[in-house]
Amino acid sequence: MEQKFEGSPKSDIRIEGNKLIRSEVSDDWGSLLRWVITQDGKEISMHNARPDLSYAHKIVNKGKYEVVLHMWKYVDYKKDAKGEFINSKFVEVSNKITFTI
Amino acid sequence: MLNIGKERVPLCDGTSRRSFLQVGSAAMLGLSLPSFFRLEANGAVKANDTKINNCITIFLVGSPGQLDTWDMKPDAPAEVRGKFKPTQTNVNGIQICEHFPMMAKMMDKVALIRSLHHRTGATHENGQRWMMTGHDFNADSVKPHMGSVISRVFGQKGELPCNVVLPGPIGNTGAGPLHGQTSGHLGSAHEPFFLNSDPASKDFKVGDLDVAQGPTGSRLDARKQLLTQLDELQRRTESRSTQMHDSSYQRAFSLLTSPKAKQAFDLGLENEKLRDRYGRNTFGQSCLMARRMVESGVRFVTVNHFDTVFNLSCWDMHADGGGLNNTYLDYERLLCPQFDMAFTALIQDLEQRGMLQNTVVAVLSEFGRTPRINPKGGRDHYPNAWTNFLAGGNIKGGQVIGSTDKIGSRPNDFPIEPPQILASIYQAMGINLDTTMMPGPGDRPVRLIEAEPIRQLFS
Repeated sequence: MEQKFEGSPKSDIRIEGNKLIRSEVSDDWGSLLRWVITQDGKEISMHNARPDLSYAHKIVNKGKYEVVLHMWKYVDYKKDAKGEFINSKFVEVSNKITFTI
Repeated sequence: MLNIGKERVPLCDGTSRRSFLQVGSAAMLGLSLPSFFRLEANGAVKANDTKINNCITIFLVGSPGQLDTWDMKPDAPAEVRGKFKPTQTNVNGIQICEHFPMMAKMMDKVALIRSLHHRTGATHENGQRWMMTGHDFNADSVKPHMGSVISRVFGQKGELPCNVVLPGPIGNTGAGPLHGQTSGHLGSAHEPFFLNSDPASKDFKVGDLDVAQGPTGSRLDARKQLLTQLDELQRRTESRSTQMHDSSYQRAFSLLTSPKAKQAFDLGLENEKLRDRYGRNTFGQSCLMARRMVESGVRFVTVNHFDTVFNLSCWDMHADGGGLNNTYLDYERLLCPQFDMAFTALIQDLEQRGMLQNTVVAVLSEFGRTPRINPKGGRDHYPNAWTNFLAGGNIKGGQVIGSTDKIGSRPNDFPIEPPQILASIYQAMGINLDTTMMPGPGDRPVRLIEAEPIRQLFS
């Protein structure tokens, strides 16, 4: 029986100081959920968002940063020669927020 | 046309009995739901209200590696310890994999058994039979699944079957059709009731109770018409056997039309946030269904996390580049998070409803995985050492039973074999193994399991 994943996950995120805060995820697929922080489009930090509803980032370098929640979307388990998934991938499941140091 | 004995009963609108009452896995096993109730009418199954605890077993088909989950060895060489790191739990001195952060917060409710092992071949089926029947393979006497034993000895206590498997039976795992999820010598009346449907699917229907829509009129009307026809048949025939047969069909249709049964299978009645908490996936919703089943009177529920090991993300982490190409990525991104959410949701949900003290939750698997990572980055079958765990009932949580050596290759102390796990589950259900017997092959009374419970689990 192939796994079914119901609905489209959605969470609202915000920032208070250096604390990133998320709501509970609706239509939660239950796969890996992670905070992804980018600068100029490059991922500079990823952190498992499952343990708690908030995460205090430790970024100190000056700059403008963007934050979003990613969740693993399982389509199938096919992988390429390097072992990376071909069809399954991370997808954004929250609004995006920015902060400046 | 319905055949009962020599009588042929025309059905409304030309609907055949088979299309009216589709019986999924039970039909595959030659047992329809009415057959089940007929056997009950004949005294093979007794409904009663015996007070024992319930049990939900979660079977992790494919088997997680002990070193990557619940028996981590952070000081071992890299090719042994693997890629994941341990995290501290809420019990001093107990660490588990970082990818079970929610479970780490409720370790005080869980008893880990780290010295489990068996001595037979490293096939999935061997492990499945050991962990679900407590016996090695024996072609002359197929041993019953734990739920079938409970069904035979204690019977069902309400309108729902005693022994339910969600979402469906284990299928192809490589080496044969005997997975330890049948009633064996106890007979078809005690076969598990397989849901055979995915509770996470939007068009979820219960496979074993799928009532086909007639060409006209409502399904309920069709049921009533059929019952009327059965009543007419009963008036025309007097034999006791036919009355029993009719009674069996009456029970089946009662189940179909029972508001309680309908509610038990209806996940739509659950709070949406709770459904999210379990995870909107096949496994998570099956765990939620398991709680609903127990709540509705089912004594023994088994949730199979996957029904095969081929061509899908599952615990069977060979990384072979082909049909068994599960890797650390599958564990990190899908399997561990999915298990972590559903298992902890189940424990929390049972506790909040006051059900955890009378529901044993057992997480079982076939074997461990090789201590050394194979050249392709996976781990292969390894029955010499692995970790399973129990919670709920009268299990004392927050403890570790047994340990393995420095590389997780064999029990270091307190070696545990599968029959001891089954004996412990029975004891946690409140069953006195010294006084409770079941019919063995040839109806000779035998103990439920020839092993003693692990005393430390209850102290």
